[in-house]
Amino acid sequence: MFKKLFLTLALMLTGPWLGAQTWDVRTHTLQNGMKILVREDHTIPNVAFYLFYRIGSRNEQPGTTGLSHFFEHMMFNTAASARTPQFDQAIEAAGGASNAYTDYDVTVYQNRVPASALPLVFALESNRLAHLSFDPRRVESERGVVASERRAVVEDDPLELLREQLWAAAFTAHPYQWPVIGWMADIEHWRMADLNRHFAMGYSPANATLVVCGDVKFATVIQLAQRWLGPIKSRERPRPITTREPEQQGERRTKVVKPAQLPALMVGYHVPESAHADFYPLQVLRGILLVGRSSRLYQRLVDRESLAIAVEGEMDLALDPTLFVITVQAKAGADTLTIEQVLYAELDRVKTEGVTERELQKAKNILRAEFHRQLKTIDGKSQALGNYEIFFGDYRQLFGAAEAFGQVTRDDVIRVANRYFTENNRTVATLVLATNAPNVRDRQPPP
Amino acid sequence: MKTRFRWWIVCCLFALVGDGWGAGPALQLPSHRKLTLANGLTLLLVEQHQVPLLAIHVVVRAGSVSDPTGKEGLAALTVELLQRGTQHRTAEQIASELDFVGGTLAVEAELERVSLAGEFFKQDADTALDLLSELLQKPSFPATEVEKLIQQRVDTLKQDKEDARAILPRYFYGALFGHHPYGRPPTGDERSLVSIHRDDVVAFHQRHYGPETTIIAVAGDFAAAEMARALTERFGGWVPAGRTGAIQPPEPTPWVGKKLVLVNKPDSTQTYFAIGNVGIARTHPDRIGVELVNLVFGGRFTTMLNEALRVRSGLTYGAGSRFERHRAAGPFFLWSYTQNVNTTRAIDLALAVLKQLHTDGISDSQLRSARNYLKGQFPLCLETADQLAALLAEWEFYGLDQREVTELFARIDAFTTADARRIIARYFPADDLVFVLIGNAATIGAAVKKYASPVERREIDQPGFQ
Repeated sequence: MFKKLFLTLALMLTGPWLGAQTWDVRTHTLQNGMKILVREDHTIPNVAFYLFYRIGSRNEQPGTTGLSHFFEHMMFNTAASARTPQFDQAIEAAGGASNAYTDYDVTVYQNRVPASALPLVFALESNRLAHLSFDPRRVESERGVVASERRAVVEDDPLELLREQLWAAAFTAHPYQWPVIGWMADIEHWRMADLNRHFAMGYSPANATLVVCGDVKFATVIQLAQRWLGPIKSRERPRPITTREPEQQGERRTKVVKPAQLPALMVGYHVPESAHADFYPLQVLRGILLVGRSSRLYQRLVDRESLAIAVEGEMDLALDPTLFVITVQAKAGADTLTIEQVLYAELDRVKTEGVTERELQKAKNILRAEFHRQLKTIDGKSQALGNYEIFFGDYRQLFGAAEAFGQVTRDDVIRVANRYFTENNRTVATLVLATNAPNVRDRQPPP
Repeated sequence: MKTRFRWWIVCCLFALVGDGWGAGPALQLPSHRKLTLANGLTLLLVEQHQVPLLAIHVVVRAGSVSDPTGKEGLAALTVELLQRGTQHRTAEQIASELDFVGGTLAVEAELERVSLAGEFFKQDADTALDLLSELLQKPSFPATEVEKLIQQRVDTLKQDKEDARAILPRYFYGALFGHHPYGRPPTGDERSLVSIHRDDVVAFHQRHYGPETTIIAVAGDFAAAEMARALTERFGGWVPAGRTGAIQPPEPTPWVGKKLVLVNKPDSTQTYFAIGNVGIARTHPDRIGVELVNLVFGGRFTTMLNEALRVRSGLTYGAGSRFERHRAAGPFFLWSYTQNVNTTRAIDLALAVLKQLHTDGISDSQLRSARNYLKGQFPLCLETADQLAALLAEWEFYGLDQREVTELFARIDAFTTADARRIIARYFPADDLVFVLIGNAATIGAAVKKYASPVERREIDQPGFQ
């Protein structure tokens, strides 16, 4: 029977790129507008059920920042009824596990369950979409949970604090300026009315995409979807976000002064949204500069000049123009200004000297491997299909991604370096160590 | 920039439960080949043809319990330095070759073993095996790389200490195990690291790395016979280090009474705490029962602890408990964190939940849920070649075999609430408790004296973890 387990992972390399390869993904759109993607995959007797709502911190307003994330928490607190049990209790008792995350652009609910629990997941997801009912006491306890999350994840983590300030400085008009988790004062002041408004804005079948990968039959999934999700009426979609961040006209600098052990530096460059043609050249450039120990910035900053203990680059999926962020964790006593100079020199070197064919090929191989690895599991597949459907406009773009990487040329890489890695387009955030202890009294020995 | 709201427990759970493969109707142990070469090297091979990937998992019985006293961190440095220069390649060349084929190589040092986990495309198998063989057998430990790495590790420790959540277990091991080998940090500390020199690394490698201390598991798209030949070619001539027997640390003694260590981190907005005592060993016969009870108490989202500290009271973003298991008994601890002003409220509540576990035991429905959860999440750990390779190697390391595995689901089903009572009484501490708190001592120091006296206080920037 173990053949069932190891039957297929469905991805086959064809030639040097995955480009020619597609999977059998079947789709259906319910009458209320919810699109469903199904990938049958009988590798293991489990299902990855991912529900993507096109709503995130990008859809928020000043004063109620972080509401999308708080709402995500509250979706696990819908009141139990005679008809439906409490969400987590029911899922885990059936052998499943559930999670969720909120981002700038989306809120995603993830259920990993044994195939036998598929009907239950539909019933539970249907219940919290159709019959939202919060216990007011839970609003207050969950507010405490999110405040604790913010303290643990942001306030007690110097790098996260720095990141928050970087984005706040880099964006002046667009909603990416506030953190997904929200500002503490906003966390303290959300009201039930805000939650209800948020629900009405984003939680509508037409504003969601369901992705199901795993040990299922397409027909069964659609049948269950029609029964449980089909009758839910759609409302108007959220108002489109029309704000465009004005072009940055000069370098911005910000700093966080904090009692920390090591200094750090973050540099963010405005880059286009994921669906833009420059996405792939920028990813290849990220590969050359920042991925692996042979990458240019690791070699220079960590290995050769020992200025830092780590350097990393990220460019998240985004519906609107976003940031390409380079983070340098400096070593003790290192001067962040020196690090900055080295960093800029390396970026300039791409513009003036270009990159070698071997570097280009290496970056493509790394990206190909990264791409391939994310698709090893049913979870990875559900995540990737949903990401491409939402951020690239069509899940089928996933199958062309490898080819798009493959087509990037050395000239493309130089072009995007020149276009985006400019002084006027950058925001620099520096973590500066507080010179005095934060509170002298704290340093005294215990009484 | 994402904010995740919960945590996936699944596969780490299995790393802890780790009984291998399920014996339910749907899943069985995949057939694998085990070979022992004349020089003592153990090879484990699983063919898996549907994905053009190759996962290699190497385990060497050369973990940090073998660190000489005062040179803690040596085992971890040694395994990392394998990829920082060999007789034929520089660190940069190794990195470049690895990156060029899109390969990964993750190195980890634990108490009793170190591991190298690599993943490559099938067509790069020769490159991968050549590289690994050279790393293991012919490292050169260039002096400049040794010094550079030590400096990096000292700074990394500073960075680690910024993250109270992540560093808490290291302090807990220090407080609970003291001078037992488990009390010494695998990462080393600020003092021990700088006392290490190249000679120590060379000697450690000579003494502990050899075919007889190594397990190589390979899973993926290859023919087993051919892979066995390829491995034998590269590793058959590896000369044994002359080390006999596995390193078996003595059983640690549980703490009697109460003990509290307060690590002062003045800028902390919350108190991060762990409370527990000595738990069980990796191969303990009661491990499935222990894990089932822990799934009810603190080992997933819908637990007694999380319900009390998070869901009902909103005191924290997370609360849980776990048994970490090694060749000898590892620790059991519950953990959580909360705003400074709520510190004693949260700890009191956690202790009350622990007491409740002892007085009430677990109910039929709780046990049913835990059983289903364990079985339902199990297959997710068997999905990929790298998971298989890691599990096979780990299994071999602990001397577990198929008989262990084929009984798993049956043993889960046979476990009763009456068994749970015995498990709770025996393995979940009640009155003998070690507390470790990281937080602002000026704010919380006085209030936490009620748990144990005297409070042992230390500063976060003080070297070491105990």
